[in-house]
Amino acid sequence: MIPFFLSLCLLWQGGSTDALPHLQAGQQAEKNHHFDAAIAEFRKATEVDPTSVEGFVDLGQAYMEKGEFGNAISPLKYALELNSDLGAAHQLLGYALLAQGYSKEAIPHLEKSGEQSALGIAQIETGQLPDAVKNLEAALSKHPNDPDLLYYLGRATGLLSKQSIDTLLAAYPDSARAHQALAENYFVLRQMPQAEKEFQQALKLRPNTPQLHLELGEVYAGASQWDKAEEEFRTETKLQPGNAEAAYRLGNALLQQGKARPAKFELQRADWLLPNMPETLYALGKAAALEGDSATAQHAWTQLIGIERLSPLAAQAHFGLAGLYRKQGKTAEADRELQEFEKLQNSAPQEQPQK
Amino acid sequence: MILFSAATTPTFDVKRPQGLDFVLQNSPTPQRYLIETMPGGVALLDYNNDGLLDIFLVNGGKVGSPMRLPETFGRHDPRYWNRLYRQNRDGSFTDVTEAAGLADAGESNYGMGVAVADYDNDGYPDLYVTSYGKNILYHNNGDGTFTDVTAKAGVAASGWSVSAGFFDFNNDGNLDLFVTRYMEWETQHSKTCGGEWHTYCPPEEFPATSSILYRNRGDGTFEDVSQKSGIAAKKGRALGVAFADYDGDGFTDIFVANDGMQQFLFHNNGNGTFTERGLEAGAALSEDGRRLSGMGVVFQDYDNDGRPDIIVTELPREIYGVYHNDGNGSFSYRSLETGLGTLSSGSSGWGVGLEDFDNDGWKDLFVAQSHVLDNVEQIDPSLHYKELPLLALNHSGRFERGDSGIDTAEAGRGAAFGDLNNDGSIDVVMTTLSGSPQLYLNRGSKQHWLTLTLRGTRSNRDGYGARVQVNGQTRFATSAGSYESASDKRIHFGLGSAENAQVDILWPSGTKQTLKDVRVDQFLEVREPEQR
Repeated sequence: MIPFFLSLCLLWQGGSTDALPHLQAGQQAEKNHHFDAAIAEFRKATEVDPTSVEGFVDLGQAYMEKGEFGNAISPLKYALELNSDLGAAHQLLGYALLAQGYSKEAIPHLEKSGEQSALGIAQIETGQLPDAVKNLEAALSKHPNDPDLLYYLGRATGLLSKQSIDTLLAAYPDSARAHQALAENYFVLRQMPQAEKEFQQALKLRPNTPQLHLELGEVYAGASQWDKAEEEFRTETKLQPGNAEAAYRLGNALLQQGKARPAKFELQRADWLLPNMPETLYALGKAAALEGDSATAQHAWTQLIGIERLSPLAAQAHFGLAGLYRKQGKTAEADRELQEFEKLQNSAPQEQPQK
Repeated sequence: MILFSAATTPTFDVKRPQGLDFVLQNSPTPQRYLIETMPGGVALLDYNNDGLLDIFLVNGGKVGSPMRLPETFGRHDPRYWNRLYRQNRDGSFTDVTEAAGLADAGESNYGMGVAVADYDNDGYPDLYVTSYGKNILYHNNGDGTFTDVTAKAGVAASGWSVSAGFFDFNNDGNLDLFVTRYMEWETQHSKTCGGEWHTYCPPEEFPATSSILYRNRGDGTFEDVSQKSGIAAKKGRALGVAFADYDGDGFTDIFVANDGMQQFLFHNNGNGTFTERGLEAGAALSEDGRRLSGMGVVFQDYDNDGRPDIIVTELPREIYGVYHNDGNGSFSYRSLETGLGTLSSGSSGWGVGLEDFDNDGWKDLFVAQSHVLDNVEQIDPSLHYKELPLLALNHSGRFERGDSGIDTAEAGRGAAFGDLNNDGSIDVVMTTLSGSPQLYLNRGSKQHWLTLTLRGTRSNRDGYGARVQVNGQTRFATSAGSYESASDKRIHFGLGSAENAQVDILWPSGTKQTLKDVRVDQFLEVREPEQR
């Protein structure tokens, strides 16, 4: 969680004793969440003693606690004019400016206070994306899985990626990579005809670029054009014989067309290249079952269940095993697998296609 | 026995026969009432026994925006009537709705589907029309007219009925009636979904309900045996229904296509009760254990192994389900290896038929297609509201896309199959939302064929439930299946190059009958022997 309000550990300079009762009253009111009363007391303290750094910082903090970030800026700035080394005042001012959208102005204050999370966010806003990524990663290492930090890091890297692609498109609009980038964008937007066109253009310009055939194949697979998908995945596996994903995709495309034997071959190859991938094991089981190779199917699905006991794929593997045993006349085993399947099904409802 | 030779490509001619002027009024509104996207049924029947198939079409109704009580659906207005078209000798049709006593579809019902059978064994096919609201049983008087006998028969049902079918579950010679019901839904508690897209809601948004089984008492009345048969114990979201004896125990079983949940396979226990065995039998879910949006269904043998298989039509990305009957009371999912997976993954299927369109000895697949949502292109540009029907040719148990000759995408829903022009080739009538029925006339092939009309004596007169085998192929006699529709009750076999046929029939009564050296390329009535 990004700490928006921090407890202040200020090394207070000496001040007028006339201001002290107002400061104490204000702090008491603040503790009781009576922010209007606290603001009134802190304001009196700064009027009684215009050099009270503590008074201006407290006033700024009280405004921030009330959610009035704009009103917090002036007293905090004044406090820093009185003492420019006050880290806590820099931190508060940095947050207040950031909250008001003055990211550029916030950055020096957040730098001085060493506040990496807020600094990273401010840097996203000012377009300093590599620095933002660096700071957010550092903050995330101190607060792993913080949802705000995860979000902002994702946003920063996404924007950085976009910046890079925008540069590519501006500088080399007719390059293969530019067409590839456009195609990927269309693919994400599910605009498949455009995606197909751009991938094909990229391939025309640079025919043997790794990954391009794989991506084009996925366009066809998304539209259930399995014969075309097979062709692209096959080309990719020739270009990248060590790419497990290409082998898996080819195996799956073959499987969807009922070509059991070659599907099993490719899926076994994918499993060899990158062992223990649940998707590969599940598809391998299907291909083997389709071919009538019960032993391989049983082995693949059992292995999958060993890796992912409770996942939807594990449920599907149990269902597949039930069918396998039923065919073999092993009724008790089939019933057992069906029970396991139903147990997992009941704990995880399925999604249905849009109707 | 050699059945097969090189097949010609079956191609339909899209016909607009004179007189067939029906428009399916589903009345789509901004309110997106779910009923609007669900009609409508079509039946092919020879109501006047003149040897020509006639067409009965179920209409939807008028829907207000918003709908106000009482819900009349405007069914007194001729635009919203169901219609019966009599086929003339020249292939044209005459609207005989009023003359037949079928005008004015009544109060408070919005039409859905139709089932056809001679439920009283008097030799004339009767009509059962399903609705959101009250269903209607029309008795065929045998003189070209029908009488609404719903009240007397006790089969009005209630709620939202979709598909229905006649079958003889207790083999007593009287056809019983199964009615699928979709969900607990009413216009006053309707809602829209899809956020900004403003779409029809998925079925999960509404409570499931039970289907209905009526036992035919044999005196013109029916008894609701849903509870005591065990059918009502399973709540579903039933859209399609088909019948066949999947385990060969002599009793007809029921497959129910449920939307957005597991499919039901009701095993007939032979004692008036049913046990739902879909999951244990491997016919309830996809290969991956996923729930399916079952809509239409066919329960026939696609791979000529003598056992009825199940094909269920679904939504896109689900692929149509092929459940192969393995012969031990269980099924295996074969959508991928039959090739149907690749043919259907981007489509929504409704009416479905497994018919040998090219007469090569292998039953082909026809599916009426169209997405549920009329604005689906805005949501997912790779999907389409209007689609071409699917014609998948069967090559030794594997399906490949055929050239249907149909080039206009439609919002297909119901589909019925039969030989409209008695040329030995199976034709199709498909209903379309807010549109005219599409009549796809099979151009025919040079292959041989045989079409049988069963005449039950100890069994029900239509012979529904009989297992009929011809030269190694098998069909289970029924007019049910598809979606909301009823097909020609005649049983058609494509025979390839075979020049004669052997016919083996196992009647619902248990009687076995064999006909040898039967001449091909003919319509043949087979009468059940009076004695075993």
